[in-house]
Amino acid sequence: MAVPNKLMALPKKLTDEFDELVKNYPERRAALIVALHRCQEELGGWISPEVMEDLGAYFELEPVEVFGVASFYPMFNLRPVGKHVVSVCHNISCDLRGAQDVIAKACEVTGAPLGGTSKDGKWTVRHVECQGACANAPMFDLDGVYHEDLTVEKVAQILGGVR
Amino acid sequence: MKPYETYLLDRANVAGAHQLATFQKLGGYKGLEQVLKSGMTPAQVVDEMKKSGLRGRGGAGFSTGMKWSFMPDITKDPRVRYLAINADESEPGTCKDRVLMEKDPHGVIEGSLIAAFAIRASAVYIYVRGEYRLSHDRLLAAVKEARAAKFVGKNILDSDFSCEVFLHKGAGAYICGEETGLMESLEGKRGHPRQKPPFPAQSGLWNSPTTVNNVETVFNAPFIVQRGAAWHAGIGTQNSKGNFLCGISGHVNRPGVYELPFGTTAREILDEKAGGMWKGRQLKAWFPGGSSCALLTGADVDVVLDHDSLRARGSSLGTAAMVMMDDQTSIARVMEVIARFYEHESCGQCSQCREGTQWLSQIFRRIAHGKGQDDDVATIEALAKGMAPGKTICALSDAAAIPTLSAIKLFKEELIECIRQKRDPLGIPAPKYASVGAH
Amino acid sequence: MVKITVNGRVVDADPTKPLIRACHDNDVDVPMYCYHPGLTPVGSCRICQVEVRQGDAPGRVMVACRTAPVEGMIVDTESPKAHSTRRECLEFLLKNHPLDCPICDKAGECDLQDYTYDEGQAAGRSNEPRRPMEKRKSLGEVIVLDEERCILCSRCVRFFEEVPKKAQLTVSDLGSRSIISTFLDRPLSGNYQGNIADLCPVGALTLKKFRFRARVWNLVKMASTCVECSRGCSIQVEVLRGSDVKRFRPRANEKVNGYWMCDVGRFAFGHANAEGRLEGARVIEGIAPVQTPIETGLCAVRDALMATKGGLIVVSPFCTVEEGAALQDLARRHQAEIAFVSPAPNALKDDLLHTGDPCPNRRGLTDLGIVGESPDALVKRISAAKLVVVAGERVVELLGADAVKNLPSTVALYAFECHPVQSGALRAEIGIANHVERMGTIVNVDGVRGPLAAAKPAPRSVRALTRHLEDLARLSPRREAAAR
Repeated sequence: MAVPNKLMALPKKLTDEFDELVKNYPERRAALIVALHRCQEELGGWISPEVMEDLGAYFELEPVEVFGVASFYPMFNLRPVGKHVVSVCHNISCDLRGAQDVIAKACEVTGAPLGGTSKDGKWTVRHVECQGACANAPMFDLDGVYHEDLTVEKVAQILGGVR
Repeated sequence: MKPYETYLLDRANVAGAHQLATFQKLGGYKGLEQVLKSGMTPAQVVDEMKKSGLRGRGGAGFSTGMKWSFMPDITKDPRVRYLAINADESEPGTCKDRVLMEKDPHGVIEGSLIAAFAIRASAVYIYVRGEYRLSHDRLLAAVKEARAAKFVGKNILDSDFSCEVFLHKGAGAYICGEETGLMESLEGKRGHPRQKPPFPAQSGLWNSPTTVNNVETVFNAPFIVQRGAAWHAGIGTQNSKGNFLCGISGHVNRPGVYELPFGTTAREILDEKAGGMWKGRQLKAWFPGGSSCALLTGADVDVVLDHDSLRARGSSLGTAAMVMMDDQTSIARVMEVIARFYEHESCGQCSQCREGTQWLSQIFRRIAHGKGQDDDVATIEALAKGMAPGKTICALSDAAAIPTLSAIKLFKEELIECIRQKRDPLGIPAPKYASVGAH
Repeated sequence: MVKITVNGRVVDADPTKPLIRACHDNDVDVPMYCYHPGLTPVGSCRICQVEVRQGDAPGRVMVACRTAPVEGMIVDTESPKAHSTRRECLEFLLKNHPLDCPICDKAGECDLQDYTYDEGQAAGRSNEPRRPMEKRKSLGEVIVLDEERCILCSRCVRFFEEVPKKAQLTVSDLGSRSIISTFLDRPLSGNYQGNIADLCPVGALTLKKFRFRARVWNLVKMASTCVECSRGCSIQVEVLRGSDVKRFRPRANEKVNGYWMCDVGRFAFGHANAEGRLEGARVIEGIAPVQTPIETGLCAVRDALMATKGGLIVVSPFCTVEEGAALQDLARRHQAEIAFVSPAPNALKDDLLHTGDPCPNRRGLTDLGIVGESPDALVKRISAAKLVVVAGERVVELLGADAVKNLPSTVALYAFECHPVQSGALRAEIGIANHVERMGTIVNVDGVRGPLAAAKPAPRSVRALTRHLEDLARLSPRREAAAR
């Protein structure tokens, strides 16, 4: 395997994981999206340029190809985000049941502008398309966990309880 | 509503059914066992599926047995073949597969393995949308348990059948729910749908024959092999057989995912399952099967939920995700949300779709925000007709055009009034936070 | 081959190539943006929709770039259905296009502009603001990207992936937010960047060296051959109003360069446009060169050749087959020796087109029987000779300007060159036309013959080398008689 000895941004723990992951597929690059997820989870909540370069080296791709893939998928953050990320669904089923109020409340409680990060770097709030929680609308995803059947009171309570 | 037999959600309603021990206690993996130990051939399984009348539950409603039979003859084409399970559930209003994956993941695996056996696939890739973390983790744990118990891997249950099951994660792109977009994404690329032909059965994942099935579709397989095609074909209406999962959301008292036999009317589901419209209001408009199908009005609520009846009304069953809207709903606002969704999710390859979804979204946004212009409705109609049908690589462009044209057909007066008054006639405000979300 | 009917005419079509090829090969115009014959078709722009009928099924509108010809297929590119589908597609493509044709370098050779004119679609329906994006994004030393004009055909992305086989561009983001970008705005690299400006069907990718230099309809275009290496890529020389060469662009040639050329060749018009040309002839009288009529210069060469046996004729590897043959004839008539300058391969060699051999007509001269020798070896031979004639474009440069300058005065040096020669040995020099000013043939590394075109007039009183050699032959009949 022509992986450079030195991957600046990828810890060995992750490359070890990827070494196992690539065995699931007949072609190495197939594991790229799952690897991007892992990098985002482990390396500060976003995909830095250095990570893209290293993933390119690991998957035998040009960095620009990794960038093309990463930028296609809305879940990948190509810029730093807050410590906690609140993704509020604003698609139809949630809109019908008060998603706009949830967004407003989430921004108010966290002090983050919609689509941006609070000044203290603690919160990012954004609106996302359908998350598949339509029967329990409205909802948001807080750091990868769904919170459903929201009311503005519940929003304040949930977000207010995050340290 | 007549009493009916359930089977799809029975296990899901039992606590702990996501674990192998409970799953097996509830009769799990018996379908797979039957296939492998009764000496059934793959062709027989395909045949059984054809006879059962099972149709895909991902939106298109194509015969599952037929789809499986499109895989090339193994004696003439010895290439490796794959099964991809489409668990990228992201059609607005749809949340049914998630219930199965979270609460009955072994059922999904069992169904996948029977499908894999039928099409002689050596590997199954379950493509779970990235946001469904719990679904993913439950499936992953289930695969591990199943492998340890010899339900997955080499010589399953000591038969000649070997099959691996792998999980793959999406990352928030709706278009990866389109089968060829899903395959591109599984190969680690941008999820750009592929021009067909070649069809996946000829050249799919890594240029090998591939079948892509929805989660709920394969979930049906174990029941059909155990209880027989005739049993399944005995439930439902003429061309829509068996039970299906129906998600109902929006302005209803008890939104949820319910199991129903085909032939149930929308009114029965609304009144008897979802507890009727909320706040004592009337039903104004609804999507019968996700946002990609044509809107219907309150007058259509007695329609039977099946493929033919909905088609006769000019809509479709889609993913059977009913989104109900009360009489205090602004159609302009609904269409702003829907159009924005397709703008956000267009992959951007085809000119009509990339530009058209944005254009529709811009116009609907203006109308909902009181800035409509006299020619807007005519423009919308012309654009939607320019985007579909079948003018692009995949059906996303059609999916954006269909609800648009239905809104123009059913609610033209309201939209024109909204443009004329420079506000919604009911005084309903446009959404404040309305832009296409950046990332 | 299969037989298909295109617009009522039965034609042969290659079933392994998309239908659009069969249309184009038979002079049936089908518009295209994402499709390019040198790249894998993707079928994304959707402009090449034509109506296709097979068997008894009703006609369907399909993209010609992703449809394979099938025996008996009936194709109508001009049906009302095909037209209306393309027209709709065009409206979408123009939705965000800035329509800044008056200031766009591509105007006049823009596929989007041309097809819009063809369809006569004058008015746009959009009331929406156009997508505001970057108008001047540098992609390195060669290319500027105008994001607003881009129609996302992805030809440029595919070019780097498929031709030099190293991805440098991607479509980033998705949907209506899609843009063409490099990784972190890094500049493009490599010797093939210029091709993406040719490939771009609109004015999104332009060459820094061509921007705002000329309107394309003022360019006179002639088919020629690149002389920057022995590949001899087929090119088009484009000259503004008979003066400067403004562009070299590749000309499709499956046997040589496909659809591409390298940047070294593309931007080599510095040589073609160089100032300070040697005009007429100059003869050294005393120590200073004196401008003379060409005849006087030629007579000086003739006299020297007749007076001295065993001279040496040094040929430039830029000489055409015709020039090589004439010089060989001259050598034969005057019993002179002949060789061409053959510098060592350079580091530009790659796996794609550039051969690294700076001698464009090595094969043609070798086939004539002229032997190539290294500049060092030749300088040694020249230094030892009494009479030397150097002939051809860049011959002094290839021998080494310093080496030529420092030749001993025991050598009598006569030169046919484009530029004045600096040398203590020089006795006379005569100006010649360069590779965009004269006709001729060169033979590439694989033996494929390529033409040179007289795309622009040579400076006043500068003639082609072949013309000088004809005149020289006419001026020296007696020597031939004496030899008999």
